Amino acid sequence: MAVKLGFYFDQTLCTGCKACQIACKDKHDLPLGVNWRRVAEYGGGTWQITGDTFAPNIFANYMTMACNHCDDAVCADVCPTTAMHQREDGVVAVDDDLCVGCRYCEWACPYSAPQYNAETGRMSKCDLCTDFRGEGLDPACVAACPSRALDWGPIDELREKYGDVAAIAPLPDPSVTQPNLVITPHRSAEPVGAATGAINNPREV
Amino acid sequence: MFTDLSMTIFSIFAQMSVGAFIVLGVVQVLARTRGGRSAEEIDRLTDPATYAVGVTLVLGLAASIFHLGTPMNAINVLRHVDSSWLSREIAFGLGFAGLGFAFAAMQYFKWGSAQLRQVLAGLTALVGVGLVASMAMIYASLDAVPAWNTWVTPVQFAVTTLLLGSLAVGAAFMGTVMWRRRQMEQAGEEPATDERDLATITASLKGIALASIVLLGAAFVIIPLHLNELSQGGAAAVASAEVFSGAMFALRLALVFLGAGLLGFFVYRFASRTEVNPQPLAVVATVAFGLVFVGEFIGRSMFYESMTRIGM
Repeated sequence: MAVKLGFYFDQTLCTGCKACQIACKDKHDLPLGVNWRRVAEYGGGTWQITGDTFAPNIFANYMTMACNHCDDAVCADVCPTTAMHQREDGVVAVDDDLCVGCRYCEWACPYSAPQYNAETGRMSKCDLCTDFRGEGLDPACVAACPSRALDWGPIDELREKYGDVAAIAPLPDPSVTQPNLVITPHRSAEPVGAATGAINNPREV
Repeated sequence: MFTDLSMTIFSIFAQMSVGAFIVLGVVQVLARTRGGRSAEEIDRLTDPATYAVGVTLVLGLAASIFHLGTPMNAINVLRHVDSSWLSREIAFGLGFAGLGFAFAAMQYFKWGSAQLRQVLAGLTALVGVGLVASMAMIYASLDAVPAWNTWVTPVQFAVTTLLLGSLAVGAAFMGTVMWRRRQMEQAGEEPATDERDLATITASLKGIALASIVLLGAAFVIIPLHLNELSQGGAAAVASAEVFSGAMFALRLALVFLGAGLLGFFVYRFASRTEVNPQPLAVVATVAFGLVFVGEFIGRSMFYESMTRIGM
């Protein structure tokens, strides 16, 4: 594989406006219920006890997620038809001619990247806006972010520039699928494995 | 409830088919070695049940088609056998169906020697075991789903396979007996069942009753262990355990307990008596099967409902 592509997310800049989610939905004309990019509102808190006084000590941050075009793409491994496959550039995509719409990839992916499109009877997912990139444009989500919290590119370059953190709650442990994702964590971000918070908008993600 | 109806029907029917086929094989072997019956005598008893296995398997496979968004592409599911447990499941499923039908046809037309047919039946049973194993691995291999990603999945599938298989064979045997008696009655004859046949059936039913009580015990050990495991896992594991509670869960446990436990006990009692009228035994065997079937069906439906993934 020549160059592996991935996303970068600066969690410290995200305001949770969901422009990335809407830009993606609009660009790909996704039906109701299918959202290739979603923004989770992650939060939690404890009580800070000072003498007899209990004060709430709370936190909140956002996590935007589409597909990480994982090195260990479990969706492609489990796909019975080989419709889900990893292209030369590392982008994980669905071949509509092969897909049977069994939704097994949906069960396997801990990032909810493959999503069933009832209109086509097939799975669908983020292809990192292959057509836009072909025209020299950024993917719709990256271009839409008003805080410039999203970036994309060859994962090696992203890691050189931004580091290699990806183990941030509510994401799963990166060892599960080896995602091509780099995050600059928010100051209240919780590492995977020490998570105390919860996704507060579960029906949206 | 019943979110994944087609998968529930497919997995329950396919597992029951494999279980029944294996149990019929065990009956064949034991009736010949310990009961001293000839192959032809046992075939007369087991053949109708064997054909019934074919019907349940076809029903299951047909239901699985409804799970697909694009059934026209169904043939593609065999393309990834080297990596996907789902491909392997379908390969084993088609293998089990193909070999099973070949065996049933050879039994029906008495093609080939009895020995050849036995070898084929053994091979079919092995492929059936492969089917249940690959079915379990579909779920057990998913790191993203803590409720499935455990040793519990293959063990529970094995218990369901043998429990439903045993009780289905028991009900099918009694159904065959009652149906033949009715045929005699309609022909104006005194309904009768060959004494040696009845002996074989009651011996089989005693074995089936014992097996179901043992399997019931296993099931009732696995469930709390599973819940305990989930309670100690992460947020997704804890959330998925919530499915296994409430009235439907209690009903599922009660049905399996009544069917396999209580009725297993009655089957054993009735089968131990040497009565001429097999009707009470037929009723008990059928009700036991029906209760366990419904209980397992609800259980499998909950299994699919417990699909809560880690991550987001």
